[in-house]
Amino acid sequence: MGLSLKKSIHSIVDRADSLIFYCDHTGRILMCNKGFEEIIGLPKNSIIDNNCLKVIYHQLLNSSGKEELFKAMIDDAVKYKRSSNFESTLTDGSGNERIICWGMSPILTKNKDLEGVFFLGNDVTLLKERESSFKNIDETLKNIFLSIKEYALYAINLDGNITYYGMGSEDMFGWQKKEIIFKHVNSLHAYDDVAYKLPFILEQVRKVGRYELETYFIKKDGQSFPVNLTVTKFMDAEGNMSGYIFMAKDVTEKRKLEYQIFQSEKLAAVGQLVAGIAHEINNPVFVISGRTEMMLSDKSLSSKARANLKIINTQIDQVRQLVDRFLAFTRKQSPNREELNINKIIKDVLPFLAYHKLPSHEIKITKLFAKGLPKVNGDVHQLQEVFINLLINAYQAMPHGGALNIKTSSLPNGCVQINISDTGCGIAPDALRNLFMPFFSTKKEGTGLGLSICYNIIKNHNGSINVESQTGKGTTFIIKLPFVKKGGKDGL
Amino acid sequence: MAYKILVVDDESPVRELFNDLFKKEGYLVTTVATGEESLELVNKEDFDVVLMDIKLTGISGLEALKRIKELKPATVVIMITGFGYDEDLIAKSKEYGCAGYIGKNMPISQMLSSFKLFIKTAKEKVK
Repeated sequence: MGLSLKKSIHSIVDRADSLIFYCDHTGRILMCNKGFEEIIGLPKNSIIDNNCLKVIYHQLLNSSGKEELFKAMIDDAVKYKRSSNFESTLTDGSGNERIICWGMSPILTKNKDLEGVFFLGNDVTLLKERESSFKNIDETLKNIFLSIKEYALYAINLDGNITYYGMGSEDMFGWQKKEIIFKHVNSLHAYDDVAYKLPFILEQVRKVGRYELETYFIKKDGQSFPVNLTVTKFMDAEGNMSGYIFMAKDVTEKRKLEYQIFQSEKLAAVGQLVAGIAHEINNPVFVISGRTEMMLSDKSLSSKARANLKIINTQIDQVRQLVDRFLAFTRKQSPNREELNINKIIKDVLPFLAYHKLPSHEIKITKLFAKGLPKVNGDVHQLQEVFINLLINAYQAMPHGGALNIKTSSLPNGCVQINISDTGCGIAPDALRNLFMPFFSTKKEGTGLGLSICYNIIKNHNGSINVESQTGKGTTFIIKLPFVKKGGKDGL
Repeated sequence: MAYKILVVDDESPVRELFNDLFKKEGYLVTTVATGEESLELVNKEDFDVVLMDIKLTGISGLEALKRIKELKPATVVIMITGFGYDEDLIAKSKEYGCAGYIGKNMPISQMLSSFKLFIKTAKEKVK
């Protein structure tokens, strides 16, 4: 090598940002560059001919075990004569901690004996700091996502295959990551509308960047639930579109609330209408029945006319009863309150089911009555009506037999909960939405008033009534009624 | 003693029914169609009982009840309605001083016995 080339190389090495030094097999430093001197904070003459560990770790004065790794790596290089990379920390001349990423290469003689070891170190302190702050952000984001249970985040590539399936997706869909990852997104939406709408959704995202829709997802177990789905473009580091991000929010609770508000508004409107109609019917009915009764009190009336008038009176009575039933659910009638034992009310109404024309098939009734159930303030007759209605419905839902479970429990929020479950035909989602509407019935013989009356009675008791149903699997009515706070526990 | 009764209802068949029914019971009956007319009459002469429909054209039965009780507090006013049993209407009627509340959804014989009972109770209270 010519002198000028040697000089040039020396100058390049000297001016390099990296820390460079060369030591013999004992660790004695034979050469180092300016970068090394600057970080270590010692002049060249205090470095050359000294042991590298003593130089780097300041004569081991502030030894804190950091040099152990360095020492082990040198030993490794001497023993096995192999290159390696490692990270180690040191304290620089100004007393600051530095993280150095070292590359270490043993230099061998022609006979493959170890001549010395070459070190090239890069200060990665800043890089590491950034990395760890990114890690913290990552961790924070992950925690945020994990704590928001109703969200699911997943992504697909341009071919529609799922490339990311995280943040609540497993909970939301019921599919495990290993079952679904890299499969086409339509496997995830096999039973819901998204699969059909997918080409349109993706086209919109390509055109305008994002697309939002309200839809229903169907879980692996067949359960359906409403979601707000937002699909956006997924861009790679170069800014090219590489896929789509799906963010879904489970809006079941929101829908429930909206539905309840909608339901009560709709019921109020229908209630007004019905009250108006009932009023209009009551007037002529009152006059007709009044006139017939007056005529019937005439003793000179022929027996034939009397018989005819009696028929008119009976028919008019039926109209009156019908109007009364209409008015029953519009009636703003406060329940006649007394402290009641819900377990006893249900026990009392069960024998009455025999009086209703129920299909005679095998139904196994299981009663899971909570002991010491707190008492409820309510109207015994109205609550009896609710349970009779629900029990008859349950029976009618199981024309081929099944199981009827009645469960009572007390909730920490001050409510008694009553679950009435059947293993019957279930209720279709469309019907479910209108279930508590007056005059809505799925049964040929139904008046469509039963459940709307139940709804009104429970509402008047400051309680709530909800229904969960799966077609073909069964239905559960869940009633919650506030219990009496002090004493008043029943003995069942 | 034959009670003087004023029937207020906007439906003429209802007025005619009460007219015939009460006459048969031996009462002296006058009928009018509106609350305004009832106030005019009550102002001019004394009635023992006013049977007042709640839903009227013009001022409501409740308003007419309120004004009659202000005008002649001794008059027994009984409310009648096609709305049936309604807690709000009952509460309002009671507040304005009515003696009883009858639904048009009850059979006429039952209505008549309730009517008589309300008058009896109200008259006893006055005594």
